[in-house]
Amino acid sequence: MLKLENVTKTFGKIVALKDINFNIGDSEFVFITGASGAGKTTLLRLMLRELLPDSGKIELDKEDITKLPSKQIPRLRQKIGVVFQDFKVLGERTIKENVEVALAVIGLPKNDWEARVEHVLKLVGLTDRADLFPAQLSGGELQRVSLARALVVNPKIILADEPTGNLDWETADKLMDLFEKINSEGKSIIMATHNKLIIDKMNKRVIELKEGGVFSDSESKVKTKSEKGKK
Amino acid sequence: MNIHIKTAWDHVRRAPFQAMAAIFVLTITFFVITIITILGYSSSQVLKYFETRPQVITFLKDDITPEKISALQNKLEADNRVSEVSYISKEQALEIYKKATAGNPLLSELVSPSIFPASLEFSLVDLSYANDLIEEIKGEEIVDQVGFTASLGGEETLSDVVNRLRTFSNYIKIGGGAFALLLTSTSFLVLIVIIGMRMTSRRGEIEVLDLIGATPGFIRSPIIYEAIIYAITGVFIGWLIALLLVLYATPSLISYFGEIPVVPKDTLKLFGLFGLILGAEFLIGLFLAVSGSILAVLRVKRK
Ligand SMILES: Nc1ncnc2c1ncn2[C@@H]1O[C@H](COP(=O)(O)OP(=O)(O)O)[C@@H](O)[C@H]1O
Ligand SMILES: [Mg+2]
Repeated sequence: MLKLENVTKTFGKIVALKDINFNIGDSEFVFITGASGAGKTTLLRLMLRELLPDSGKIELDKEDITKLPSKQIPRLRQKIGVVFQDFKVLGERTIKENVEVALAVIGLPKNDWEARVEHVLKLVGLTDRADLFPAQLSGGELQRVSLARALVVNPKIILADEPTGNLDWETADKLMDLFEKINSEGKSIIMATHNKLIIDKMNKRVIELKEGGVFSDSESKVKTKSEKGKK
Repeated sequence: MNIHIKTAWDHVRRAPFQAMAAIFVLTITFFVITIITILGYSSSQVLKYFETRPQVITFLKDDITPEKISALQNKLEADNRVSEVSYISKEQALEIYKKATAGNPLLSELVSPSIFPASLEFSLVDLSYANDLIEEIKGEEIVDQVGFTASLGGEETLSDVVNRLRTFSNYIKIGGGAFALLLTSTSFLVLIVIIGMRMTSRRGEIEVLDLIGATPGFIRSPIIYEAIIYAITGVFIGWLIALLLVLYATPSLISYFGEIPVVPKDTLKLFGLFGLILGAEFLIGLFLAVSGSILAVLRVKRK
């Protein structure tokens, strides 16, 4: 469903990504890893059309998103759920309202909100926190809010940039179980992380970036669940 | 409630001082605009009143036939230097006299209708025609005397008064207009500043909304609604205060100015005038709110 072809991105003299090629299938779970500064965030931002590559193609559902006119960008982003390292929940709105905002953004009629919001809050285990404000929640809970907001619009693909970066190991582990569950329900997940413990434990496909290039890709091993992803 | 209006309302509640600043400035602006509009209306009413007053009175000889009178009246009406010709009979002249001296019974009882001549009164399209026309009319056989009544006590002629009023009326229009424009610009700037502050304080939220696929319209809407809330509230309060003030002053204005219609005497017409002003002010307010918020949004975006 997502295909990158010879994607290069520079910032002035800095080459953040060079000649990236890979393919991600439907309902695949992929880790993008690599040292800090390797280009993970840049890659995700390209997929969201926050940035345009200098050259190359990025196809989502057979559509080259680098060619998308800027008017169409909201439509693209509405198909993608995003989860950020720093959660990016709206501090002045309750948990429930934070999730509802995503539904308002895609223009879903209000009558259909209740059921969807209840469903995702239950999924991430925050039903009883629905009317609290973000300041009253822990980091792990906030990241689940962020995930609920991403999920509620029912995207086919979820991008997560270091979602466990601000969480302790145990909380991160629980969050990963949630991602795993979501993936098993058919959603593609592309997660940037440098947390080797998580990668090792999850046993998913791993694309490792190094200095802006693909250093390794465990693609071939992905279908056979018994094998481990390369570091 | 529409989610954007709710968001806008939340902002207003969370920053009451910003909201108050915006609303106060708009209130003052529209209060002044209303008052200036009413003053402009009144001054042009007064001007019109004096402009259309009869300026020439042609006193007719006694005992002439109605046919001759209407012949002269027709002739005057056909003259394009002349406007608003009216015939005042002896009896009407007496009535007018009695009214004018109502406070003084001695004066009004002293007279009988016969001492007042009938007359034809008219206004001039332009006062410069006065001399020629008066000479011509003096030649008419039924005419006794011609009075150029355009003097309002003292040596002031009506044309002086009209000219003075016209200048005064223009001052109100130009000065008031400039002042209103200055206030309107201030309101506009205050709106932009406050909306700009709102944009800055919402920056994080806007970034998130943008990333989860909100359209620019979605992001802009609460901000525009907020500006509209300020504008509508300001317009309404400013207008209402002006209305109350005028209503309060109307009885004394009417008794002071007498038959000069400085404010519409009939209540329905007064409210009609104010309704019209309110409508126009709402449009101005909406324009300020929408253009101001769009400008503020564009400015923040460019940074
Ligand atoms: N907006 C930017 N302007 C200039 N350089 C940037 C910008 N964003 C990222 N970079 C550079 O691109 C490289 C990759 O960054 P990034 O994708 O954030 O790495 P990662 O997320 O893997 O830590 C880094 O060297 C970084 O300094
Ligand atoms: Mg990063």
